[in-house]
Amino acid sequence: MSAHTGQASEAGVLSADGAVAVPARARPAGLQYEGRLLTKSFDGATVLSQVSITFEPGEIHSVVGENGAGKSTLVKIMAGIYQPDSGEVLLGDDRLAGLSPRSAQHRGIYLVPQEPALMQSLSITENLFVGILRRGRLRFNVDWASMRREASAYLDRVGLDIVPEVKAEELSVAQQQLVECARALVHRCVVIYFDEPTSPLTGKEAGTLFEVMRSLRAEGYTLGFISHRLDEVLAISDRVTVLRDGAKVLSAPRSEVDRAALVRAMIGRELVTRERVRPHFDATGRKEMLAVEDLTSQPSFEGVSFNVREGEVLGLAGLVGSGRTEVAETIFGLRPTDRGTVQVEGRLLEHRSPRICIDAGLVYLPEDRGRHGIFAEVEVERNVTAGVIPRLERFGPLIKPAPERQMAKEATEKTAVRMTSLDTLMKALSGGNQQRAMLSRWLLAGPRVAIFDEPTRGVDVGAKDDIYQLVAQLAGQGLACVFISSELNELTISCDRVVAMYEGHVVAELSGAEITDASLGAIIVGAHLR
Amino acid sequence: MTTLSTSPVPAAPAQTAGPGAFRAGLGNIALVLLRRREVQLVVAILGLFAVCTGLHPQFGASSNIAFILADSTTIMIVAVGQTIVVLGRGIDLSVSPMLGIAAVSIGFPASMHNLNIWLALLFVLLIGIGLGMGNGFLVSVVGIPPIIATLATLTIYGGWQFIICGGMSVINIPAVYTNFGGANVLPGVPWLIVIGAGVVALAYVFLTRTVTGRSVYAVGNNADAAFRAGVPVRRVLFTTYVISGFLAGLAGLVYLCQIGSATSTSGSDGNTNLMSIAATLIGGTTLLGGRGGPVGSALGAVFLSEAAQALISFRFNEIWDPAGVGVLILIAVVADRKGAPVRQLFRQPFRQPAKAVK
Repeated sequence: MSAHTGQASEAGVLSADGAVAVPARARPAGLQYEGRLLTKSFDGATVLSQVSITFEPGEIHSVVGENGAGKSTLVKIMAGIYQPDSGEVLLGDDRLAGLSPRSAQHRGIYLVPQEPALMQSLSITENLFVGILRRGRLRFNVDWASMRREASAYLDRVGLDIVPEVKAEELSVAQQQLVECARALVHRCVVIYFDEPTSPLTGKEAGTLFEVMRSLRAEGYTLGFISHRLDEVLAISDRVTVLRDGAKVLSAPRSEVDRAALVRAMIGRELVTRERVRPHFDATGRKEMLAVEDLTSQPSFEGVSFNVREGEVLGLAGLVGSGRTEVAETIFGLRPTDRGTVQVEGRLLEHRSPRICIDAGLVYLPEDRGRHGIFAEVEVERNVTAGVIPRLERFGPLIKPAPERQMAKEATEKTAVRMTSLDTLMKALSGGNQQRAMLSRWLLAGPRVAIFDEPTRGVDVGAKDDIYQLVAQLAGQGLACVFISSELNELTISCDRVVAMYEGHVVAELSGAEITDASLGAIIVGAHLR
Repeated sequence: MTTLSTSPVPAAPAQTAGPGAFRAGLGNIALVLLRRREVQLVVAILGLFAVCTGLHPQFGASSNIAFILADSTTIMIVAVGQTIVVLGRGIDLSVSPMLGIAAVSIGFPASMHNLNIWLALLFVLLIGIGLGMGNGFLVSVVGIPPIIATLATLTIYGGWQFIICGGMSVINIPAVYTNFGGANVLPGVPWLIVIGAGVVALAYVFLTRTVTGRSVYAVGNNADAAFRAGVPVRRVLFTTYVISGFLAGLAGLVYLCQIGSATSTSGSDGNTNLMSIAATLIGGTTLLGGRGGPVGSALGAVFLSEAAQALISFRFNEIWDPAGVGVLILIAVVADRKGAPVRQLFRQPFRQPAKAVK
């Protein structure tokens, strides 16, 4: 409890009479909050460039865009979590400099995170008032009674019918999200952001959240909403801003945009369409290398079937959450299979694990390179040979160093990894070179089928082209490739066939000239549902 | 720097150090070498030796050197096992009772029935493997966090050691044992340290040149990535605990040979747990796993022994010893610039995103 007393005393300083420890930041609902020319980059990659945006009181302003378009970064800057590299934020007429999450809250700005961040073993009351615990009459005690009363009132306001004594861990995700929202009100915040709040919610739960948002709007709060679900955006917004590749491409009142316009803005590409990496390859009649039949892993996806033939590049398109990565992980034995089969070269793989898949000739380049791919503190050489340690040339039980080095050398030359030497630590390489090193790891395994999950993520533009070339070259040598990407243009220029997923189901299969950015874009955002 | 222009990353010296950093200049080479913890330790060991000998000439006597080395052997062998566990991002807090159980289990038959020393060796190794398998089972099969699993077995094994002793102590070890414990190969080089060095060399080869050993680094560095690369993560972790038990068992025999007696608190009274972890950390292996090696730990063990001996020769009471060890651990961790900040130790393991260098 010592933490609480500390925070309480701090709040007490701000309070005039000591009874109600609400800092003097309470202001009438409704403040204009503006970001001007915000720019932010991570690890040298620009994720937000010169974006200006104004959130008006009494409005729900949605920010939409594909994954990686910069939506979350923008909102996190507005909420003080990130500092912009350049640009400024203005609340009303005040310029806010050096904002932190704490000072943002003091100024009345609150971000409801995607995953609720409540203290699970504390009561709802404590969660709501943490940081501004009320003091009781004795000055050093905590006035639980008044806080509980007020907590109930706030919970009512966000439509939560729960007792404030329950612990946060007993609530569902949807309820926790509403508690976060109530927390913003308790802290007298008037600018509230919701970062993809609906992704962990069911349709009905999302409906409740929208009700709350609408009532807050009616009271004049300034609301920001992030989503990639266009239905929601169209239903609730007063104004919509579209980001693409870190830049603002559209900002208009809801009445002036429709679904088609948003889709165009979200996926529209530069006028020069890039050329295909290699001509369309019709693999009909070639050997079937990977056959996935009725694969199901609830709740992520259901009844997914597709096949990949020798020398073919099959795209797997869909939004994040559509189940693409989950399908790949299930094939590779990283998630439980509820039903369905996976065959590699006609051989049924049962009880799949990465080792079994690798030995059968199937490899999977993971989406999150940092977490699932590289060994950051280990030399490049050993990163590259990590997938084939049991197959290294040995003398008795001892691995021979020279052939291993030769192997690593050849493999890294093939993918053109740029590094000081094979002894360089993996973490010293740029994103693109780490990805190339990962590719060489998998090439060493001698795969017949390869699943590339977002192979160009966190890779600079020039290096992206090299990776497309490499995939095409491998396919040319007979490798059956599955290419998963959020960037539609990548799929358009690289794939011979594309399977599109929406909400856990395969909804379309396109081949040859049918594959265009526009056709893919329409399918993955669910245009077929209309 | 111009020779490195192909690298897209502005080469950060600390990260490209190692055999690959062939920047010209003897001074640079020396600097690169000095960044290696092993080299720093050798310098520290020799430096401390020189200072102590200068002030107290008897510190440099071959008998004193032999004592320091023999004294460090037990901890050295245990620390090598500890290092292997820590490299896999685990920790083994049960090494002291494993050592103790091994020592008393052969100590009684040795003193009463004159147990053959080779049979004794076989027994301690089997005992160590068995106890290590217990830890490995709890960590890799049941899935209990290492610090909790081995804290539990620390107590369980410790109690067991007590039961085995049944209130008695091992005394009157046959001369075969104690003679071996006191024998020198050369003046100043005891046989025990030869065994210790052999263990270190084998561990080094194991870690760098065998399939399982190499997998330990991968698992410790990034268990998720290792699993996705086809490494049998659980089996590898299991093996690290078995090796730790095996070496703690061997250390039990070494202990018996060196001390000549054993009790229900052998191992625990010498603070084997703390000392083995201290040697590991001082030797440059990080608790975050995946980086370090047994050579540093062995040098760490020697340094600890030497420092303890130095305290004595400067007429400090030996009750200052544990405090000194603590200070050395702090110095080792703070000096570990390459390592992650200490606060990362308190983050959830396996979920720490490995970021590319900026």
